[in-house]
This record gives sequence, structure tokens and C-alpha cells, in this order.
Amino acid sequence: MAQVKNRLRPFFENITFDREDNELVLNFGPQHPSSHGQLRLMLHLQQEQIVKAHPDIGYLHRGMEKMAENMIYNEFMPTTDRMDYIASSSNNYGFALAVERLIGVEVPRRAKVIRMMLLEINRLMSHLFWLATTALDIGAMTVFLFAFREREYLMDIIEGYCGARLTHAAIRIGGVPLDIQDTFISQLKTFLDKLPQNIKDYEDLLDSNRIWLMRMEEVGVISTEMALSWGCTGPMLRASGVAWDIRKEEPYELYDEVEFNVPFSDKGDNFARYRLYMEEMRESAKILYQTIDMYAKCVKDAETELMAHAPKYISAPKLDIMTQNYSLMQHFVLVTQGMRPPVGEVYVPTESPKGELGFYINSQGGPYPYRLKLRAPSFWHTGILTDLLPGHYIPDVVSIIGTTNIVFGEVDR
Amino acid sequence: MRAYTPKDDVQAKAYYTDRYYVAPQVPKSEVETDEVFAADLAAIKARFEVKEAYIQVEQMVIFINPHDIYGVLELMRDELAYTQLSEMSAIDWLAKDNTFEIFYQMLSMTKRKRIRVKFFINNGEAVDSVEKLFRSADWSEREMFDMFGIEANNHPFMKRILMPYDWQGHPLLKSYPLEGDEFAAWYEVDKIYGKEAREAIGPEIRDTARVDRYDSERFARLGFEVPKGTKITGDEPRNSQEYQEEGGVFLIKKYTKEASTIVDDPQR
Amino acid sequence: MAQHKVNYTQDGGLPVALTSIDKIVNWGRSNSLWALTYGLACCGIEMMASGASRYDFDRYGTIFRASPRQSDLMIVAGTLTKKHAEFIKRLYDQMTEPRWVISMGSCANTGGMFNTYATVQGVDRIIPVDLYLPGCAPRPETLQYGVMLLQKKIRANKAGNAQKPKRLM
Ligand code: SF4
Repeated sequence: MAQVKNRLRPFFENITFDREDNELVLNFGPQHPSSHGQLRLMLHLQQEQIVKAHPDIGYLHRGMEKMAENMIYNEFMPTTDRMDYIASSSNNYGFALAVERLIGVEVPRRAKVIRMMLLEINRLMSHLFWLATTALDIGAMTVFLFAFREREYLMDIIEGYCGARLTHAAIRIGGVPLDIQDTFISQLKTFLDKLPQNIKDYEDLLDSNRIWLMRMEEVGVISTEMALSWGCTGPMLRASGVAWDIRKEEPYELYDEVEFNVPFSDKGDNFARYRLYMEEMRESAKILYQTIDMYAKCVKDAETELMAHAPKYISAPKLDIMTQNYSLMQHFVLVTQGMRPPVGEVYVPTESPKGELGFYINSQGGPYPYRLKLRAPSFWHTGILTDLLPGHYIPDVVSIIGTTNIVFGEVDR
Repeated sequence: MRAYTPKDDVQAKAYYTDRYYVAPQVPKSEVETDEVFAADLAAIKARFEVKEAYIQVEQMVIFINPHDIYGVLELMRDELAYTQLSEMSAIDWLAKDNTFEIFYQMLSMTKRKRIRVKFFINNGEAVDSVEKLFRSADWSEREMFDMFGIEANNHPFMKRILMPYDWQGHPLLKSYPLEGDEFAAWYEVDKIYGKEAREAIGPEIRDTARVDRYDSERFARLGFEVPKGTKITGDEPRNSQEYQEEGGVFLIKKYTKEASTIVDDPQR
Repeated sequence: MAQHKVNYTQDGGLPVALTSIDKIVNWGRSNSLWALTYGLACCGIEMMASGASRYDFDRYGTIFRASPRQSDLMIVAGTLTKKHAEFIKRLYDQMTEPRWVISMGSCANTGGMFNTYATVQGVDRIIPVDLYLPGCAPRPETLQYGVMLLQKKIRANKAGNAQKPKRLM
């Protein structure tokens, strides 16, 4: 049937046929089911082997940095959700922490505990999602269904807290907006008690699975130098032999009070990364158990504050706004004009599930950031494909992209 | 007379600022207060000119000369153990004094310290690429070129990275409006259907607060919506909101609410 | 010839169903809507969730296919950027007719919160859309309801009519 007339020509940019050297150029994406979003790869092939890889990104560039320059600080918070949309709260948190360092406020303890719970739940969600999609790409449909089942339970808990499944906006600058709901702890406990068995289920399915091993072991080996030079962080770096976890090394929030290990491996291949994700889920569960106790202690000590007290920057609690004139005026100014942080700049890294998520804020004393740079880990984890893929074979591309755990909201911003 | 709007900075502005308001500063401290930073700074000062150095929010910031950047980063990587370039980008000061400020965010994992190396270049100048030292700069510099139009010398592949290759303008410049210019507004229409289709497709509707009087009349009538362009008479038939037609569907089981169960505890 | 009392036109008379072509064609079309995997951004995650364990899309006959040639439903889930716009047109043209498009999430409907230089303000500027799902991100239930409404819409069509190509211009 006749198509609507349009001007699109066959798309063979950079591609020449009839090449002397018998090289084939394969275009992979930007809409490929296993490209985890909108990654486009130009692969130069000698038979099945890749000789040159050229990742092309930007298909999800939505102009977030530009938006930040045109928004007051609180207004930008929901936009950060859409960066790493698999673990939204960790982005909220990164931004909130950066602004808090800039204006120099200290968050109340109870809010810190709640934030840590949210962060670790998000880490679990992200890792489960990673496991599901990677296993699906490699053909393990069962694991996909299993991992999504568990992820839905976590979504229920988060949904009970903030009302959204995916885009949480659950953290505010200066604290958290709400206390956790009554069922939060009990639901979380039920989930955590089942989690070791669930993780064991996945491992039983995958660890000694011949197909899984063949696609994972000794594939996509990243050496330590390469990982450092490419700016890899998070599990990508830890799988390459550097035990660097910002939660441990430059502790923020209450991470210096909880007990957890930083798993790492010196193999650097896909399988090492897979093992790391599994171990990190166990560590997250450990942290969550401890935060539950910390929360109980907060309740016992009657620490009810959820937002920091800094009238210049942060609105008063709702009760004050409704009852006291000055609080209402201050709230009005903060909402309509926005807070005006001091002049200065700050770069704050946090450990998101994917790696080092950094926010660089340059403030000139106005209600809008003068410049905001989002340092998203996935950007460099995509870049490393340029050097990593050559030498591998076509089927390896899928498993390597899978284990780099890239999310395109974050790569392109 | 029309109000004057500056062309070199079209970002959102605070609509009211107190005339006597003086913005406070984020405190800076001397480099000597931290031994590690002091030692690093001394090592850099021995070889290169450092214009200014201070510590702000636990990180050291140093200003150097633009042509020293390769040398400074090489020294920091090889001798001072700053093994990772976390981030680099530019800040647009064109409206103020026609310069760009470039920053490089360095991380040392053994010392657990971060340093921000900075310098200023004039509009139209290029920076030296550090891609040979840190591969991550490969993409960062391309992004900087894409967003600000600052080129990097000796870069192997200086092309746009986020925007399409045929894009015009550099989005993060302060003179570039958030909603894009004329070229951006028609980019996809021009590319797919050609310029002559502009009229048929119409301009982008970007007013988020826009309410179409007729639309709200049509769509607010839940269950009695009418298509666009038809008259509202008041006796429209009811559009059923049900999943299935009333009479049942051929070959498909009828959906009944009573037969379904509601799960209370999802984690059962 | 034997006089038998079987009423052929009723259920259980004979394993034969008498129907019109329209009904049988629409039954087939509406209950095997194979969707193209078109997860562009955050909404794509919710689309995956609706395909996964709890929400189980397969029971509607909706299976995600990775090739436009095998699919007749395109669920545009996520932000369409200007750089990507030409590919959506290309893939839409490659789908076989009859084909339907669901625009999922406010980004695909209107550009949503991304009122910037880089996003297309609504996929209906590029391809014709049958159903708009509101939300950011729409819940999987919304997507399921949307698919059921689309099934209803298909059933209301004449089998021949559905094949009339939809034109944006
Ligand atoms: S509508 Fe919301 S959730 Fe969906 S793609 Fe857009 S920003 Fe993401």
C-alpha cells in the first residue's frame, strides 16, 4: 500500500558498500529490544567479529541541564526523577544533598533514616530490574518473570509511601515530606525475609546454567586501567578490582553508622558484574534491616522532625504554615520566588545503583542555578563500549550492554 | 515602548530582587587547613602557575592557565594519584566578560580527595584535549562542543554527541532559549515531511497553561464526549466506559465484576 | 433424509460457529494485537512491567515483538526527541496494515514536562495516534484499559474499513 509521502531517504550514513576489506557495517538500534533504551551502535564487522564500534547517543536528550537553569531549585526535583528512572529516589537524593551542602543545612535524623530506607529500596529495585532485563536479553525468561515479581512488591511499598510507582519525587530539599506509613515496616520485613530465598532462586537458575556461563564468563573483560580511565564507577569499577564505594569512602547520610561490606572482584568480566549485583542486593538487605532498627529507635526517642529548620531556604511544616502568619508569608515567598542559595559552587557525589551520581551546582545567588551539571554514571559506561566491544563477537554485544546497566534517561539527560 | 530584553542571556530571571540584597557566600577556607591538599598544591605550584586556590565544601579548587591543562592533569594523574576524571564541562560567562569557564573534576581514590581544576578561555578559543590522559574526556569534550561550541585541539573525533549532526546552535549557551529557536521548532517536520508541510501540521503548542474552551467542553463530558469539530446538541448517546460492549462479545467470555477476586495482600 | 432436531445456529449444536466475516476478522485482530517494543523512556519501564509477571499482558493476546513487520500495534511509551523523530516515522511506515498507535504518557501525548528544544511536542505531529493514555508514567492498569478500549474500537469497525490507511496529512 502506498505510504504517506515523506522525505526520508534510506539511512546509510557513514556506510559504504563494496568495500575492499570485506568489512560489514551493522547498525544496531536506536530501537533495538536489547539496547536498554535508545542506544545506537555502528558496528564494523569482519565476519562475526567486531573491529570497530561507534556508540551513538542522544536519542533521549531532553535538555535537563537547560531546564535546570530555568527552574527554581524545588521545581527541578521532579525532573531528576526522569534521569535514572529505574531508581528515581536516588536521583532526588543526589540533587537534594547537593543543594543542602550548598546552603549548609543539616537534615533531622528521622528524615535521614527514611531517606536511607528509600535509597536502599531503590537500589534493590534497580538491581532486580537489571537482573530481569539482562536475563531476558540472554534468553532466561523465567528469571525475568521472577525478578519482576519481587520488584512489584517493592513498588507497592514505595507506592504506599509516595503514591507513585516509578517517578517518586519522594525526597525534598531539607528532608522528606512525610513519615512512612504504618504498613511500611511490616511490608518491608516480609519482603526482606523472603529475599534471601529469592536471590537463591535466581542463582540456582543462573549460576551453573551452561548458556549463562558461556555468555558471561570471560566476556567483556574491563581492566582496572581502562575502568579508571573511562571514569567507570559503581559495580563496573568494583568488578574491575577497585573496591570503591562512595557510601563507604565518603559517607553521607548515616552510612557510617551501618554495617555493610563492599563486594568487589578482580575478574572484570560480565560474570563478575553479575555476581556483584547479586551480592549488593544482599548487602542492601542488610542495611535495610539496620535502618528498621534505627527507625524504631527514632520513634522511641520521639524524634519527630522531618524537615530541616532553615527559614531562609526551607518552608516550615504544614501545621505552622496553616496557623502562623510569618510561616505562611515565608512559604509564599519560597514557592513563588524560590530559595536563593549563597554564591558558590559545589560538586556532590553519591553512590546511585549505577555508580557515582554527581551534581555540580554553580549558584550566583539567584533563585535559578547558574549552571547545573549532571554527572551520570551511565554516560561513561556507554562510552566504554567504544573500547570494549572490538574483538568481541556479535552475540557478546547483547550481554555486554546488559551488564553495563545503562539507562538512557541518564546517559542523554 | 517595548521592554528591552537582553539577547545574550535569555534564561529565566528572578522577577523581583531587593535592591539592597547582598547574596551571602558559600564559605571558602585556606588550602593550608588541609595537609593533603596543601601538599598537592605545592607539587602543582612547583611546575605550573596557579592563579588562585581555595577549599570550598571539602574540595579544593585551583585556577590555572589554559595552556597548562594537559601538563597539570598529567602531573596529577601520574604523581599525585588523581586517577579519575569524574566530570568536565564549561560555564557560559559570555554575557559578563565574553569568556567560558572550564572545569575538570578530579578524584583520587587512595587519598579520598577531590580537586576541581579550572581556567578561563575567551569566546572562540579552543581547549587542549586531555583525551590521551583520560579516555572519559573523549565524550565529555564532545559533549562540551555540542553544548557550548568549544572545540578541543587534538581530539580524534570532534563531532556533536547528543544533538543530531545537522543541528544548528549550541543549546547550553545562555543566548539559546529553553524552547529552542525557529530551526529547533520545525526540525522534525522539515526533516520528515519537508518545509511545505509546516502549514498542514501547524506550530508546536508549548503553552502548558493553555485551555481550549471547546476541548474542555467536549472532553469534560465524561461518557458523552463528541469528536472534534462536531456540534454539541445535548442528547448524545452515552459512550460506554465498560471494557466490553453491552451485548457481549463474539467468542469472548463475558466479564462480570462478581466473578473476580480482589487480592488484599499482594505479598501473599 | 433424517429429521434431526439439532439447532445448528445455537451453541453446542455442532462444532460450527456461524458468523459474519466482520466479526471473525475483528475477533482475530483485536485479540492478537502484537505490539512493537517501543519503550523510549520511563514509560517504557511501565510497559515492560505490564508485560511481566503481575500484570501479564499475554492474556490479552498482546505479545511484544521486536520487528515492525510482525506487529500491528505501536505503543509509543516515552519521550520522543527530535533526534529520534525520523526513526519513529520509518518504523511506522514499515508496520503492516491495519496498524494502530497508542501514545502512552504525557511526553508522547504533548511533550509533557519537557518543554524544551529537544523534545517533539506530541507524537501526533509525526504519526497518527488512535489512543492517548494520560499519566506520567501511566500505571500498567491504564495501559491495559487502553488496550481493551482499542479492542473495542477495532470491534466497532467494519473489517474492510480498518484497512483504510490513516494519514496524518
Ligand atoms: S510521561 Fe513521564 S514517565 Fe513517561 S516518558 Fe514522559 S517523563 Fe517519563
